[in-house]
Parts: sequence; C-alpha cells; structure tokens
Amino acid sequence: MKLLRWLAHKSGLDIRSSKYSYGLDPVLGFTSARKHAERWVNSTCGYCSVGCGMQLGVKDGRVVSVRGNPHHPVNRGKLCPKGLAEHYAIDAEGRARYPLLRNDGQLTRVSWDEALDTMVNRFRAVQRKYGPESLGVISTGQLVTEEFYTLGKLVQLGLGTRNYDGNTTLCMSTAVAGYKRSFGSDGPPGAYEDLERADVILLIGANVAENHPILCTRLEENRSKTLIVADPRVTKTAMMADIYLPVKPRSDLALLNAMLRIVVEEELYDKDFVAAHTTGFEELRASLAPCTLEYAARITGLDAALIRKIALLYAHAKAAFIGWTMGVNHSTKGTETVNAINNLALLTRNIGRPGAAPFSITGQCNAMGTREAGFTSGIPGYRKFEDENDREEIARLWNVPVGRIPTQRGLAYPDIIEGAVAGKIRALWILGTNPLVSFPNIDVLKHALGNLDFLVVQDGFHPTPTTELADLVLPAAIWGEKEGTYTNSERRVSKVNAAVAPPGEARTDFDIFLAIAERLSCKQELFPGWREPRDAFDEWCRVSAGRLCDYSGMSYAQLKSSSGIQWPFPQGSSSSAPATHRLYSDGIFQTEDGRARLLATQWTPFPEQPNAEFPLILNTGRTVEHWHTRTKTGAISILQRMSPRAWLEMNPQDAARLNLQARDRVEVISARGRVSRVELRVTEIVGPGQVFLPFHFAETNANQITQSAFDPISREPNYKQCAVRVERSPSSSPQPHRTSSRHRNAKGGSS
Amino acid sequence: MELPLLARVQEGDSAFHLTTASDAGALTLTEMPAGSFCATGPRDRLPHAPRPGEQYRFHFDMTRCIGCKCCVVACNEQNGNPADILWRRVGEIEGGAYPHTHRHYLSMGCNHCLEPTCMTGCPVDAYSKDGLTGIVRHSAEACIGCQYCTWNCSYGVPQYNPERGVVGKCDMCYGRLTRGQEPACAAACPEDAIRIEVVQVDEWRKQYHATANSPGMPSADDSISTTRITLPEKLPGDVRKVDLTHLRPEHAHWPLILMTVLTQLSAGAFTAIWMLQAFGAQTHRSAALVALVVAALALSASTLHLGRPIYAIRALKMWRRSWLSREVLLFTLFAHAAAAYSMALWLGLRSTVVLGALTAILGLCGVGASARLYLAPGRPAWNSPLTIVEFLGTMALLGACGANVLTHAATGARYAVLCAFSLTLVIAGIKLVWLARSRVHELHGVWQLLTTVFSNHLAVRFMLPCVGIALLPFVQSVWVSIATVLLVLAGEFTSRYLFFVTVVPTNMASEYLVQEAA
Repeated sequence: MKLLRWLAHKSGLDIRSSKYSYGLDPVLGFTSARKHAERWVNSTCGYCSVGCGMQLGVKDGRVVSVRGNPHHPVNRGKLCPKGLAEHYAIDAEGRARYPLLRNDGQLTRVSWDEALDTMVNRFRAVQRKYGPESLGVISTGQLVTEEFYTLGKLVQLGLGTRNYDGNTTLCMSTAVAGYKRSFGSDGPPGAYEDLERADVILLIGANVAENHPILCTRLEENRSKTLIVADPRVTKTAMMADIYLPVKPRSDLALLNAMLRIVVEEELYDKDFVAAHTTGFEELRASLAPCTLEYAARITGLDAALIRKIALLYAHAKAAFIGWTMGVNHSTKGTETVNAINNLALLTRNIGRPGAAPFSITGQCNAMGTREAGFTSGIPGYRKFEDENDREEIARLWNVPVGRIPTQRGLAYPDIIEGAVAGKIRALWILGTNPLVSFPNIDVLKHALGNLDFLVVQDGFHPTPTTELADLVLPAAIWGEKEGTYTNSERRVSKVNAAVAPPGEARTDFDIFLAIAERLSCKQELFPGWREPRDAFDEWCRVSAGRLCDYSGMSYAQLKSSSGIQWPFPQGSSSSAPATHRLYSDGIFQTEDGRARLLATQWTPFPEQPNAEFPLILNTGRTVEHWHTRTKTGAISILQRMSPRAWLEMNPQDAARLNLQARDRVEVISARGRVSRVELRVTEIVGPGQVFLPFHFAETNANQITQSAFDPISREPNYKQCAVRVERSPSSSPQPHRTSSRHRNAKGGSS
Repeated sequence: MELPLLARVQEGDSAFHLTTASDAGALTLTEMPAGSFCATGPRDRLPHAPRPGEQYRFHFDMTRCIGCKCCVVACNEQNGNPADILWRRVGEIEGGAYPHTHRHYLSMGCNHCLEPTCMTGCPVDAYSKDGLTGIVRHSAEACIGCQYCTWNCSYGVPQYNPERGVVGKCDMCYGRLTRGQEPACAAACPEDAIRIEVVQVDEWRKQYHATANSPGMPSADDSISTTRITLPEKLPGDVRKVDLTHLRPEHAHWPLILMTVLTQLSAGAFTAIWMLQAFGAQTHRSAALVALVVAALALSASTLHLGRPIYAIRALKMWRRSWLSREVLLFTLFAHAAAAYSMALWLGLRSTVVLGALTAILGLCGVGASARLYLAPGRPAWNSPLTIVEFLGTMALLGACGANVLTHAATGARYAVLCAFSLTLVIAGIKLVWLARSRVHELHGVWQLLTTVFSNHLAVRFMLPCVGIALLPFVQSVWVSIATVLLVLAGEFTSRYLFFVTVVPTNMASEYLVQEAA
C-alpha cells in the first residue's frame, strides 16, 4: 500500500489534490479546505500588548486557523504576521508535556504529585535553612490577570517571600516608575484612538512598524498628523516619519529637556493648568537652565534649529501625543526620560484630552495585568507597600492580619539574580520566561543559577535554554489553552479563552498555583472555594474597586459580549460607555494632593562609552517576525522562513575601515563576552560608529555582550548601548559575492 | 440576495458568480452574511468587475508598506502552502546615506501580465489568461511539473512544489474575487498597501513603463506586468535590492544535465556515422546502436526531471508555441529516425544515407530547439545566442570525438576534434569575458560564482578535455581515442553542471537574510 502510494506520487498520478483543495467556509470565505473550522473561539492575541482581538478556528481538537476579529475595536480584523501564524505555536513540537524532575543529572518524567510535593518540600527546606526570603520567584507578562493575581497572593502570603518580580522589569518597569513618580500611579493615560486624533505624534525609541504593526494602521489613517520619530537607527518606523530625528544613542533626554526649555522660556505652556494641577514648576525651570539648544544639538547630533522646530510643533499642537517603548525604557536614565516626557505633556496639557497623551506602548500581552493585579513592585490595585492605608485595606479585603502584608517591596529581578550570585537566594521559581536568552550579561545569570539549591521552571515549552538548567520542569498551558483576561496598552481588558486542551499532562498555570496552595495548606485561607479563573477575577474585581484600575463594573459575561472594556470601569458603569477612556481628564492625579509632579531630570552619557578597544556602540532590538526569545516563533516555520537567523547591521564606513564585507560572519565582542558568527549586513540603516543586533536568537545571543547596568529607580537593564568591537570570524568560508555598487539588476526598472 | 446582471460561470465542479459592470459597480456576491470574511473590508474595496477590454490588477503602494509581511503569512494560510513556498513575497530595497537612508519594501504576488511568459513557454497549456478577469491561472491537473515556467517568469512567480510534483502560483485569489471577497493579501494588509483595481488593457500597454517598474524589480518589459506600483517621491538613484550580495548556486537539474549532454552526444555521433557513411563509405552498425542507446537514455533521463513523469507525453501538446514542446517533438522524431537508421544499417538496406541525413538533421534541430528553450528572460546568462552556439559546439565536439574513435584516429578526424575543441574553447572564453565584464548583476554574478564557489569545477571543466585532446597527437590506439571521448565528455558534463548551478535568475528583491538550505 505504502509502495503504491509512493509510486503514485513519484509517477505524478497523485498530486495531493485533496490536501491542496479549496472550499467555501462560512467564516473565512473561499480558502484552503484545511483551514476550515468546526467552531470559532473568541480570544485576544498572546504576543504583544496591542491586544488584538482574535478568533481561533478549531477542528478535530486542533486550532487549524486564526483570524483577526473584524468587530474588535483594537485591530478591526487585522493581525500582524506573528498573530496570523499564532496557532502553530500550540502544535509546536517543543511543547512541555510532562513534569520532569532532575534525577542523577537527567530530567526524567514524574507524576504531578511527585513534582509538586518535591517542589514544596524543597522550597520549604531552603526557606527553613536560609530564611523565608531565600526563595525568589520570577514571573512574566504572559499569564492571564487571574493567574497573576493568584500567584501574587500565593508567593507573598503562601510561600512568604517578598523576592518576587516579573520579566516585566526587563521591559516596562521604567514606564511604571515614571508614571508613578509623575502622576502618583502606574497606568498609561492615553488610548489608541489618540493616534488617530493627534495632530503631532512624537515617537521616541519606538519602532512600532516592527513591533506593533497593527498600531500603524491608526497612524496611517491619521492623514493630517505630523509624525516625528526619534531613533538612532533608520527603522521601518523612521521611514514612516514626516520628520526623522537621527539622534545619537541615548541622547533623547537632552532633546526632551531642550524642548522643555523652549516651552518654558518662550512661555508656551498652559499656565492655568500648571498652576492648578502640578507642583515643581520652579525647580523644573531652574534645572532647565543649562539645557540650551546648543547643548542639545551637541549631545543629540541634531541641528539646533530643528530641535527648536520640534519643540514649537509640539507646543503649538492642538493635541500632541508622545509614544515610547524600549529606546527609552532600556536605559539607566529611563525613568528620568519618562519623567521628562511627562513634564512636556503636563506643561502643555497634552494629557487627558483626545489625541493628547504621554503613552508607553507596552510589550507583553499582559504586562499590564501583572502591573495591576500582581504583587511584585506594588500591592494589587496599584496600592503601595509603603502606604499604611493601602495595607490595611488589602488586609481587610483578604481577611488576613495586616502584619502579613509586606511594608516594602522585595528584590527586583536583577537584584534577585545578584542575590543568587551572593548566595542569599537559594531557590528560584521561574515562570513563563526564558532568562537564559533575555537577561543582560548572561554569564552573571548562569553563575547565579548555578549557585541555586533548587530551580523550578514552569513553561509551555521544553527544552528551552532555561528549562534545560532546571531541577524541576512544570509543563504549563499556553495561549489558546486557558481562560482569563489580558489588559492591553490602552487599559483595555479583553477575554482570552481556551480553544483546545493543553498537550500531554500540561496544566494551566492557574491549576498549578491552586495545587501548590493546597500543598502549602493555604488554599482555604487565600483562595477559598476557588476552582476556575472566574473565581480569581471576581475577587480581583472587588479588590480593584475604587482604585485607578477599577474593574468592579466588569464581569466575564460583559467581557464576552463586548470587545474588551477599558478601565477604570467602576460598578454601575454602562457597558456602552465611550470606547476610549482617558486618565486624568479632570486634571486630578493619583498623588496625595491630586497634583502631578514636574520633575527635574538630568542627561548623562550612557554608562559604557566606546573606547579604543571597543570602538562601536551596540544597539539591540527586534524584528517583526519574532517574539522575544523565540520559544514560540522559532517553532513556526513560516516565521523562521522569513527571519531565519540574526544579523549585525553596520555602516559601510565602519565596514570599509574594518575591511569587512556584506555577509561576512563576524564576532561581536564586548568586555563581557562575544557573539559568534553573525551575518554582517552592511547598511545605511545604522550610523557610523553604531551596530545593531536583534536579540531574539539564542544561538547568537546579544546578551552575551550586554552589560549589568540598571536604572537606579526602575531596575530596568540598559540593554541598548554598550561598547563592542567587531571582527571577522575565523574560517569564514569563501563567499560568492563581493558585488560592488556598480552592478544593477538585469534591465532593472528605474534603478 | 438579488444580483444585478448576474453572470454565472460554471467551471469544473466549482460554481462561481460574477457580476458584470453595472452602475452600482461593485462586484457583489450571494448568500454570505456581510462582513463575515476574514479581515475583509467593506465590499466597496473591490472595484467593479472588468468590462470587455479590462482586467483586474494589483496596486501596490510602496509609500504605505511597512514591510510587516502580513500579506505573506495570509497568502500561505489562504492557500495552505508549506513555509518554503511563498506565492507572495516581501523584499527590501535600500539606498541613500545615513541619516537620509531610504529603505522600502516590495510586496509581490503574481503580476498577471499582459504577455505572460509562464504561459507562452508552458508545453502542456497549464496556464490560461482568464477571459473575464485577466487573471493568469494555472491548472495543477494539467501541469506535468517541468518547471519551465519557473525559468521563464522574470519575477520568479511560479514555484515548484515537490510534495505535489507540480508548480503553483498566485491566482489573485480567483476563488475569492469571484465571490466578492478580497484576496487574502489585500485583506490582511494593515496599511492598505495592496488593492485590487481594474485596468484598461490597451491603455496600460501604452503606459505601463511609468508605473509598472520599481527599483528591485525586473523590468516590466519582459511580460508587461499589470501591477501598478506607487513609488515614494524623491527616491535616491542608488536604491537597490538588499540581497544583491547574496548569490547562491541554483538547482543542478541532474536529469537535464544528462539529457542535454547525451542528446548532443547522440546527435553528434549519428551525424558522424552518417558523414562517414556518406563521404567515407564506412558503415558503423555497432556505433549506431550505441548512439541509439545513448539517445534512449537521454530521453528517459529527461522524464525524471518532471514532477509527473507519467504524463511526459503531454509535453508534445504546445509545439506551436513552446520551445520545450518543440524540443520534445524534435528529439522524439530524432529518436525514431535514429532507430530506423540503425535498423536499416543492421539489415544492410539501401538508401540508408538519406535516412542518416534525416537523423542528423533532426538531431541538429533537436539540439537547436533544446538550446533555444534556455533563452529565458528570467535567466539572463542563458538568454544569449551563446547558449545555442555552446550546445551546438558540444554536439560538434562529441561528434568529432566519436568519429575519431570510429576512424581509429584518422588525420581528418583528429583535425575535426581539434577544430571543434578550439571552437568550444573560444565560445567558453567569450562567455567568461562577457560575464566578467558585465555590469548586470545577474551576469556578473555568474562570473563571481564561477570564480569563488565553483572555481575548482571551472578548472576541472577545462583540464579534462585538454588532457584528452593532448593525448591525440601521440598515440593512435583506439583505447586512447576512447579515453579522449570520455575525458571530453566528462568536461562537457562539468560544463553543463556549471551552466545550471551558476545561473543567477532575475527576481524581485528579497529579504536580506535568506534561509539556508536544510
């Protein structure tokens, strides 16, 4: 039979016609018959925090296709290439299927009972021996809010350690810290609609075309805007700009302060608003004295007249929007830069109005959820550890003695790692993140993990570079396999739903947390009667009541029938409330006196300046086809086909000086390590003296060379700038190229 | 739903509906609830159905494209293609100097050309230009997997799917369009950079130069592409494909190497046998049998190149239009004539000389047609008269070597070998100089491949026949003559291998990084 089939294929009788047939699907229209679904499940995309509405098509217990939800206000049916291929992540070969425990050096399959008993016993043993805070927990931005809420209580009150943080500290903690300092609370004030309504949009260190393509739809639709993009690299987003500002690396703060100085000196600020709703104006004015145009021109490399023009454009705008992402956040000056952005918005009252906002465009699908409901750098509901009233309130809501609520946050992510290096953290539980690829200066992390008595990694994928080092691997369900909610960048809470069951014995993170709570004998106290995520959501709605991130008017039923609801949404709110809420429309901020803070900031050079040995500045970033450490997208063949490996961008001037040519394999070397055999791209995308390396690829891991420098306030790593040198890799095989610029395509069009 | 001026067209088992032009204009469709299709926008995004003299085309707006590649993924999902077959691709072009850099993206499916070279070359009539929509459609059922269209299309649009043994290509989502649904790529584009338009064919033929071309794209002249491209204003003059530095060997097509060299050997041998018979009064019955076996081998080998060898016979169908069909036809006739000639020689019949002449002429024509089919616009290094001279030169050289064996290295035969060899050397020399001096990427690239990755092959290609020829003056043993034939033949095989692997196809720009072969 097999032979017959082989013959039929080889002879050409069988051309797989049924596999490649088409048909009319009531939802998809005329399409490949293999993509037709029996039922459709509404959900929200599990990659970035744009929060696109999706529908998952299920047939025979598999997700066979996905499509953008045409009725969802965020994406209106569109999806980025990752989203369009997201269903392949569920079926990926490298999914974690069974609990694995290290036995004689080998990870071997064990039962869930044995896995969780071992985990709890080992954690307890470590805590008995070294103190409760010798246990660290590092989570993620990719669980559902219900899970973050549950995990926070479990870690802080059940396991009894404060040393809990998320990988969100590697991406958004700077925005959080900046918002808290300026406005008294976390919470992005704007909404996506502002991108359509602003007449001036300034994007700083934000490559939305690569990282949030669906937001570009809004930019494109706003035909009357002036789009200004500040980025040292000519990104895809820079190509969309009306005015592109090729700032020198990490000079944005100098640019912002010069703009502020113009606004203040030329009295372009909203005096009434500043007087009524802010404090700190005089200190700010004083701090701006040295920030002249000449000062900023020298630091940023921009023309002084251009800087002034940008300041005037911003100040005179009817509604001005500033969006930022990692170019600002991944910096030791990140929090101050966010504060400078907020200063600009406050002075010109570009906040709380349609089209006007300072706006952090978040990374992970539910980084916002952990910020709201997690229990890491704050108490759930944007409550502060330091605030006695907040502690008392949460203790009352949870029915626990107030003394059990910590009065101070524990260690932040990088400090947990340093704690492990120092031997203070002896056991670690890592969930849904892959630090072996994502943490800066990876050798320090390896050293830290090597010091541990017990490492638990809970993930949807195995093996990953991190699960390979674990003593215990807990297989978790991923997007498409579990229920809950995500909050996107514009504070929109959307439902995610299970379309299929997790593979093998994998369980939802929520189930795992409850099972651990049972073993810790704290389930009755912390999670009484909880069985499903809805129980956590209902409690979280009560706990958030009255807070800025007020969910109390929401329910699963409402979320199901709507396409997400933006908070604040207090009890009694109508589900047909305006589609886009903005924070601070009334000018009342979350500080004690209700006034926003204008904060003096100061530019300093980035910590590791280029030198004779390491003369180039390394910039890191992303590509549209991949997500973070590529555990998901690396398993998806269409995305791998389009972006198979890392590359290094280098300006032709540097390449000529180093005698390097396009497609040479090169070593990128810093004081800390090297990345080997990266394919060189000689390009004008980066300026002379700079090189760019995408960070997704474990095989050529940018974090072999990044540094251990962190923002003093947010503890976010300075991934963006470090000093490197580039050399040709030894034994580069001969390359069939060396095409010089004089060659053109055959009969090439107009080239 | 009542449809205005519904035209119902029945094709195979798939029923579809088309509205013809109406005042309302929109192509509308039956029974589907509004807005129920994946990411389809409102119906008015689609133009009216083409009127007589019009056809559908793509409009690609480069000023809107951000290079997100949603269209690529959406296309593959729509058509259920594996990841290494992309009917729509996105490439990058770059120019200018930092910070005034220009980087732009090209998204391209099929250009549904007015003069589709895929279609005119196809030996089995698998392609058709749809009368109503102008869409260039391909029938997998009719296709035999010869892949000739993949050479003929200068955009690299048709792609061979080894899993199916046939080629496939973008059909502008014909099945969607005729149901009032936007093509998957256009529907998925978050920037609205891809749209479907209707174009007046005659007008386009006059004006296409202005908007069908783009940096990073082969010229629209080859086939009169219908895709309209909106380019950014003030594009610097040096904007070009970012993958220009990426040269990689093409497929070797071993069955074709065998087929072309062996048909040339056989045709050369029969010509020699006939000439020796006609002018030297010698009869070489055994040699004719050997040459016949070689011809049979060559033709059998050629079917192995097909994705669907069982349907090889279909290749004769389009002999009025396709050089591939003509090649197959002429070689089939050649084989028959050669068989008849051989048999006649064995039976000692009279007037075999006429049959021999016919065999030789058919062989010559076959080799000519064989060479002519490589003059494909998508393969500039092949698309030159040198290819024809090269193939005929091989035939002459191998024929002369054969004669040398048959005449036990008679002086005349030795001179013939020397002349033919000099001829092939001159041709090879001219070609190398042409490639080396060319400023066209696809030509100079061949030179670069020959002098880097394939420099050893190139040396072997010349050394083998040189050794063989060098033996000639010294010894007159038949074994030496046979050794000469074998060495020269090995040289020709190497040469043909290089012919296939070093060709640099024209194509649209690609991404900078291209996936390496597994």
